[in-house]
Amino acid sequence: MTPNHHLDDATVLSYSAGALPAALAVVASVHLERCAACRTRLLDADQIGGVLLQQQRVDTPAEDARAAMLVLLDAEPAVEPPAPPADIVEEHDPDRLPSALHPWFGNSMRALRWRRVAPGVQRILASGIGGGDLMLLRIAPGSKLPLHSHGGNELTMILDGAYDDMLGHFGPGDVADLDGETNHQPVTSPGVPCICVAATDAPLVFSGWVARTLQPLFGF
Amino acid sequence: MMDSDQAVAEVAPFRAKRVVAPPVSNAAPDAQYWSIQMSAVSAQRDRASFMRIYDHFAPRLQRYLRNLGVPESMADELVQEALLTLWRKAAMFDPARASLATWLYRVARNLYIDHVRRQPHWLPIQEGLDRIDHVESARLDSQPESSFDQDILKQAIDRLPPVQAKLVRMCYLESKSHSEISAELQMPLGSVKSSLRRAFAKLQVSMRAPR
Ligand SMILES: [Zn+2]
Repeated sequence: MTPNHHLDDATVLSYSAGALPAALAVVASVHLERCAACRTRLLDADQIGGVLLQQQRVDTPAEDARAAMLVLLDAEPAVEPPAPPADIVEEHDPDRLPSALHPWFGNSMRALRWRRVAPGVQRILASGIGGGDLMLLRIAPGSKLPLHSHGGNELTMILDGAYDDMLGHFGPGDVADLDGETNHQPVTSPGVPCICVAATDAPLVFSGWVARTLQPLFGF
Repeated sequence: MMDSDQAVAEVAPFRAKRVVAPPVSNAAPDAQYWSIQMSAVSAQRDRASFMRIYDHFAPRLQRYLRNLGVPESMADELVQEALLTLWRKAAMFDPARASLATWLYRVARNLYIDHVRRQPHWLPIQEGLDRIDHVESARLDSQPESSFDQDILKQAIDRLPPVQAKLVRMCYLESKSHSEISAELQMPLGSVKSSLRRAFAKLQVSMRAPR
């Protein structure tokens, strides 16, 4: 299935530049794994990096550095090591989490150990990521999340289920790439829980009285 | 800028004879020139071609990493690591997809994120994305012809309005996040992102321009 909601151009650019905070980069990677359109835009962004690399002003390399490089080549085996076998992925295994999430949450959806943080909302927070917060959220079907806006960047990708908000309908593979100016109120679709992976690079700023309600949800 | 053929020939005279590269002209080497050097490296393990790539790109990679704040000795190591990766994986290089500069940029950026930013999961994720792209381009009947001209993109970068140019450089050459740029320039986060979007859109237009 081809996603309908994609990474923001500014996000793609920063991903290519290696400048995206770690938590946001994980969610972007999950989307890139399944979105050819965004991979094409990433290649465009990498080409910009290539030209900027070319433009670096430099001197001729030192003779001793060249000699050291040749010594390293001598130490290389004559025959290229065989390429590692391609990752065999069962395409439609609904239990398998995307590979970019394995280091943080394991590889099985069923094995996840959810913790309730608000009525109808469960969460798992990744630990030790540095550079923002990364979490899985599981929201009961037909839930209306309190209205909120974002203090910084927030990137969310749906893994299962769906929700609707002012930006449209979000199903599996779709990303919501939001900054501080978005004020939205997702409503999850009926049927199955909405499971998504979300990352922020700054504490969420909530509008009005809902702040207290949401504090336990996002841990601030 | 540099012609290191002689120096290489002294190191490996028996290999220098097999060089298939065209004579080095005074013009800056273009993408096709690098593509020819890369085929010599991958097909014949040609050291002279490798050292031409080294002489051009090693100092640039070094400068790129130093600008990112990598200490000199570590930058030296990462440059060697990047060039060794090129030696080992030369067969993976596909000139129809990306220029050699772009390919090396990715390798160096990945090493930077892995070694300096210490995101140990970045490399396997990037290798995974590479594999997906390889499977995909192998499945396509005809390779998409790279309609991309580095010179046109370079000119488009040079023509960016000053603020957009500054933001693009802060992203790529200082590895600053949107929030960091926003704080440093006292510019609202939304404006940082919309300026970057506009810059990217312009540069993409230049990449799609007919030659
Ligand atoms: Zn996409």
